Amino acid sequence: MGSWKNIGAVIKRELRLHGRRPVYILGSLGVLSFCAVFFLTFFGSGLPHDVPIGVVDNDNSSVSRMFIRNIDATQLGKTIRFDTFQEARLAMQRGEITSICVIPKGLYSDVGSFRRPTFTYYLNGMYFLGGSLAYKDILLMINMANGAAQRKILRLKGVNENEIMGRIRPLEIDTHQIGNAYTSYNYYISNMMLPGILEMTIVILLIYSLGGELKYGSSRKRLRMAGGSIVNVLLGKTAVYTMLFGTLGISLILVLYGWAHFPLAGSIWNMIPAVLLLVLASEGVGIFIISCLPVPRLALSIGALYSVLAISFAGFTLPVEAMHPAIRGLAQAFPLRHYFLIYSQEVVLGTGFAGWWQEALHLLAFVFLPLPLLIRLKRAFIYQNYPKD
Amino acid sequence: MKIHLFRDWCQDVLELGVRELKLIFKDGGVLLIFFVAGLVYPLLYNVVYLNGILEDTPIAVVDKADCSVSRRYIREMDATREVQVAYKCTDMQEARSLMEERKVNGIVYFPSDFGDKLAHRKTATLSLYCDMSSFLYYKNSLIAANRVMLSEMNTIQKERYAADGYSEQDAMSLVQAIPYEENNPYNASFSYSIFLLAAILLVIIQQTMFYGMTLLAGTLREQKRSFANLPDYMYTNGVMRTVVGRGWAYWLIYMGIGMYIAYIVPAIFGMPLRGDFFDVLMLLLLFVTDCIYFGMTWSALINKRETVFVLFLFLSPICLFLTGTSWPTSAFPPFWKLFSYIFPTTFGCQAYVNMSSAGGDLSAAETQMVGLAIQTVFYFITACLAVYLENRHIKKTAA
Repeated sequence: MGSWKNIGAVIKRELRLHGRRPVYILGSLGVLSFCAVFFLTFFGSGLPHDVPIGVVDNDNSSVSRMFIRNIDATQLGKTIRFDTFQEARLAMQRGEITSICVIPKGLYSDVGSFRRPTFTYYLNGMYFLGGSLAYKDILLMINMANGAAQRKILRLKGVNENEIMGRIRPLEIDTHQIGNAYTSYNYYISNMMLPGILEMTIVILLIYSLGGELKYGSSRKRLRMAGGSIVNVLLGKTAVYTMLFGTLGISLILVLYGWAHFPLAGSIWNMIPAVLLLVLASEGVGIFIISCLPVPRLALSIGALYSVLAISFAGFTLPVEAMHPAIRGLAQAFPLRHYFLIYSQEVVLGTGFAGWWQEALHLLAFVFLPLPLLIRLKRAFIYQNYPKD
Repeated sequence: MKIHLFRDWCQDVLELGVRELKLIFKDGGVLLIFFVAGLVYPLLYNVVYLNGILEDTPIAVVDKADCSVSRRYIREMDATREVQVAYKCTDMQEARSLMEERKVNGIVYFPSDFGDKLAHRKTATLSLYCDMSSFLYYKNSLIAANRVMLSEMNTIQKERYAADGYSEQDAMSLVQAIPYEENNPYNASFSYSIFLLAAILLVIIQQTMFYGMTLLAGTLREQKRSFANLPDYMYTNGVMRTVVGRGWAYWLIYMGIGMYIAYIVPAIFGMPLRGDFFDVLMLLLLFVTDCIYFGMTWSALINKRETVFVLFLFLSPICLFLTGTSWPTSAFPPFWKLFSYIFPTTFGCQAYVNMSSAGGDLSAAETQMVGLAIQTVFYFITACLAVYLENRHIKKTAA
């Protein structure tokens, strides 16, 4: 029973510390709330609309004007007219427009006399989303313009309307976006960025808390309080942080899939253990880093590097398969990567536990990561023989 | 007398800068952030995003139609750069379980009436199912399926017109009355790395400088000193001297790191460097100065050494979103647009992309340069204000 009392003492002391120093609450609840508000409001409707598309109309005919009106009529695009290509190019270099459509001189008469005028468009791939969406919009519109030209001829030839569609559009793709039917950027980004920020705050705060004991020389006192057992110190501290971050993690899941109605193919009851595993695994990583490097500033710098990289290595932006083979395996070293795999199984595909139990085991393994290094941490706690700042 | 004043001013500025440099080089933590993080981070990100292009995304195909068009469609999809037909399944159930095992990221389904509809000259529909867990999977499946669809439509229509007795040229002018030509001059293959890294580079400059400066400010606070403490011989107002003097120390270090990040790192990894050297240098001069006063202003709020990591680490990814290179600036909600004006990177990254990646001259970054200039003046004033207030506070508590 002695160790329960010791653990209890550590918990009480940690709670007192949190009450006294607002940095703990600001660094966890504050940061996460800010990010939740940021990501859930920043992407607004989920997909940008009225992406600026530059048009240089060298023809100024009814056909070219109709083409411009058609782009304006789509939700995606909004045209901006330029007199010369020079002006349009400068605007594209400035990032003011995402693309330029050049309508050739004589478009109207050339189409009418089957001379096949070439339509040219330029995209700015440096503004990624804007450029891609403009590309999609322009490609659609130019193919529709082609269809319209063909339809006009077919009508003149007396082909009936029912047949025309089958002639000018023999094929059609029915696209199903599994897990994100609205192609919402908000669903895509927030689903992973917010757990990423959660992992970040856990790793940093755990290092900060344990490093603080070393830095302010209170580590021996803490060890004595815990009955000389480093395990008790860690159990006491992680009890507090698991409560704190577990609550934050569950709130996050409830906010995403309950309040914000993010699409969820599986069950919310499966996402709760998933996020709790992420919390535990991230705590394991935090303790591991400070045990390897019991120098608070070094450990915090490494923790910062690690948790920012985790967002890249999770593979929801650039998939891990596209990374260089030499570093691909590194992705396994980030709990967020395993959480991403769970997420894509449960939220996107709805496979249930059977689809992601292996990832759950991976996450559990992170919890035991610091075990071999506990003696090192204990020595650091006793001898305080590392630089303090 | 006046000349003397100016000379003394310069001397004070010089001394303050030297004092700051000594502080920086004595502090291992700051050195770690400035020189290890500042130099290694850009390399690391380049390595992570080295390929940047997702190729041959595996897809499964369910061909219930089994006609010549569907078979050709499948072959052509397999030949695209974007996807690779990894599995041919007999039914959707099989394809679906492959997707659940993450062996494929997309499914193409040809219904059994596909061939019949084509024979009857009706619109035949095929279905595409995309894994949306990463948008790049979606983009690859979508682009491959659509490109092949466009070329297939041309082929089918040409075949039909040929059967109706049209010459090839006549058929082409009907099928594709307006041929089109695509140009993507700055990022030819929509490479993820070229777009992301160009934006990340300047974020690294701002963030490492900010973390280093706050670390130092926090340390001084912990040692019961202050960044605003003036040397004893300066009795009068030394606000300007402190700000300018401390500033040039960082400026010296960060012009070096900045030039490394803006010129050398992209060159190592073969990223496009289309800007004029001096144009980008002008941007760096302004951007680094802006970051210094940005850092000085905000670091005044930090009173403990490590707190900056706990409180402000999350800003790095947010700054990246606020640059407007992924989510377009025109779609920012008004509040976040205002919020984005806090950070030098909002202007700096766009200016860098416009000049270095899109090859524009200074006029292509005009708006951003003006923004940076206004921000610099603003943060210079607030940095002065922070020193002034801090000094008054110190004097009050000392008295």
